[in-house]
Amino acid sequence: MKTNKKQFLTGAEVVVRACVDAGAKMMFGYPITPGTEILSHWIREAQSRLIGGQADKSLKYLQTEDEIAAGFCMCGAVMAGEKTFTATAGPGTVLMQDALSMADGMRLPVVVIVVQRGGPSSGTVIYSQQEVNLAIHGGNGEGLRLVYSPSNLTELYEYTRLAFNNAWKYNFPVIVLSDGFLMKTRQLVDLEKIKIKNIETEAIISENTQKNIRNIYTFEEELGEKLARDKKDFEKMAGEVIMSEVFCGRGQVETCPYEELVIAHGIVAGAAKEAVNALRLAPLAQGKKVGLFRPITLSPFPAKELNELAKQAKKIFVVESSMGQLRDLVKQNLEVAVEVSGLYKPAEGIESEEIVKLLNC
Amino acid sequence: MNLKILLSGDGGQGIQLMSDLVCRAAIQRGFFVSHIPNYGLEQRGGVSLAFIQISDSEIAYPKFSKPDITLILSHQAEERTAKFSITNSQFSVKDYEEILKKNNIPHQSYNMFFLGLLARMLGEKGVLQREKVFELLREKLEKKPNWEENKRAWELTKNIRY
Amino acid sequence: MAKEAKFCPGCGYPVVLRFLHTILKDKKLDKKTALGLDIGCSLLAWDALPINTFQTHHGRVVPTMVGLNRAKPELLSIALVGDGGAYAIGLQSLLWAAMRNDPILVIVANNTVYAMTGGQMAPTTMIEQKTDTSPAGSDQPPVLGPELIRGLSPKAYLARAAVNDVKQLNEYLNKAIEACQLGNFALVEVLSFCPTNWRTKGAETNERVEEMKRVFKIGEF
Repeated sequence: MKTNKKQFLTGAEVVVRACVDAGAKMMFGYPITPGTEILSHWIREAQSRLIGGQADKSLKYLQTEDEIAAGFCMCGAVMAGEKTFTATAGPGTVLMQDALSMADGMRLPVVVIVVQRGGPSSGTVIYSQQEVNLAIHGGNGEGLRLVYSPSNLTELYEYTRLAFNNAWKYNFPVIVLSDGFLMKTRQLVDLEKIKIKNIETEAIISENTQKNIRNIYTFEEELGEKLARDKKDFEKMAGEVIMSEVFCGRGQVETCPYEELVIAHGIVAGAAKEAVNALRLAPLAQGKKVGLFRPITLSPFPAKELNELAKQAKKIFVVESSMGQLRDLVKQNLEVAVEVSGLYKPAEGIESEEIVKLLNC
Repeated sequence: MNLKILLSGDGGQGIQLMSDLVCRAAIQRGFFVSHIPNYGLEQRGGVSLAFIQISDSEIAYPKFSKPDITLILSHQAEERTAKFSITNSQFSVKDYEEILKKNNIPHQSYNMFFLGLLARMLGEKGVLQREKVFELLREKLEKKPNWEENKRAWELTKNIRY
Repeated sequence: MAKEAKFCPGCGYPVVLRFLHTILKDKKLDKKTALGLDIGCSLLAWDALPINTFQTHHGRVVPTMVGLNRAKPELLSIALVGDGGAYAIGLQSLLWAAMRNDPILVIVANNTVYAMTGGQMAPTTMIEQKTDTSPAGSDQPPVLGPELIRGLSPKAYLARAAVNDVKQLNEYLNKAIEACQLGNFALVEVLSFCPTNWRTKGAETNERVEEMKRVFKIGEF
């Protein structure tokens, strides 16, 4: 085992690395557990960064008075053409909806790293998967947002990079939906193997523009027409960005047949992979045909991929650290009559042994 | 192999620092490692936990409820760790208080005793070099107060039976 | 103005916009300005001027312009906002922008009511003033914006003008823009007409502004 290219990093350090590598220049943020370290690491990076031995002052930041201001400062900065992001969690994700809704309406290329914690209210400061609905549908509109759900630190890096590219390519808000476990975990990661080319930005407002932009409409038809255009753009984007993964044991081809389908996202999908692997290998479970389907983009949802798999499945098990926010997404998109049950542990972690037990019942 | 280690103690006892040193020493031997802290809302005085995994393959999930080795550095942590499966390899401050007191180890150096104990066990299992942990420890703490006491607590574990 | 925006007859906003545009043109800043609008009657100005203009959210134009300005300091960032947006829902961000001395110009139109929603009590509603939500008269002293900020932001340019004295309005706006260009926060509160919600006609409207001047002192602070 060679480890020379690998680094021992926390989730928060990985996020900052990804943002820097993506060409992000500004962060606006407000401290909130378990996402605070993204802000503090970014500030440290901005203050100590060297390029060719010279102090590089190109990274900017502001610790704002609240998440609302962080969100709107971000909106203003992206309008000026700067790759900008924020990071927040729980009650902060609630406050962030004000600015995110403006980004929805004005099609602003904002990137928000959400670090899910227990809810409702202040809940816990640790972990959950309860901000799925908020990430997609937290605005007073139609939920036209691109939402990534990474399941490990390497993916956290990769999807944060993709978040900036796709925000600026398609002009929809992008959320990287992570969680407190992922953010605080420190593991060995090899980020150099991920090669992504950055997209250039274009200012909405500059010295070379003379635009009159509105965000509120006099007539209902006007808004209806705008939303129809947005929806069309969103569907076009969906064809190009939707991601999902199928797993049925290490060394197994993805097309192997299965009767039972586990569906999980984010870090829980990591545990589910272990469970699927164990079930496939266990002598007791011989003949147990079990697979994992894992949506990587929760919005737009990989509906076609889900239904292809669901056709062969006798039973679906949804496993998540919420009371059914992923299950509801699955059910909304499922066009095949198949029984859906699951394991729902709001704000609690789920280990592979529990998933094995569920499937062995 | 996937070795799961749970460290627990009071906030401020250096649980996370200990985890960091153990992980770095295991990385040197080419293993995959994962470390996730867990603490209460308070900045000081709550129970601090560290979940460590050392594995020869990639680690998919950072949390676990069945540790292979559990270290309990404070009486308060005893209660918090009760829900985790009891293994044979459980080492609690209550079992070592007598030895520590007999050797005049001050309370703030108890953590170095447990780090020494853990490093020895992991060294015997071949997942790290005990000396490497000490080397990393020295880099971190040599210039800080109580280094002599810390060193003495560490050395006490060299020949101890566990 | 490029277009006759859809303000009510007799509204004070078009006066402010006309003078602002003239000053920007005179200073050759019309191409180098971003004008952000709050939600409230200010939003009606979205296509009033041939300069970069956009609508934001209620109470959020100040943080939006702070972000824009930090990303692009070469543009003069102006926030046009009503008294409710500035001193109630958006007060927290307004105070912080002033305390950090973010070099943006905030123009607050003070007409003592929430006008777009039909004349409800505002943070600037005067004692005993009757509104839709204070039918028996307000019992709370109004917020004095520039006076409030004065103690918090030593370098800020702070002034209060009125739409019925355009010479002074012109002077204060000029000075405020110069302050921004020197890197300082600037706020000009403008006592503005709202005959629709005040239910006043002609000279009465002007008299109301004169009445307001007794509570809201005109001048630089």
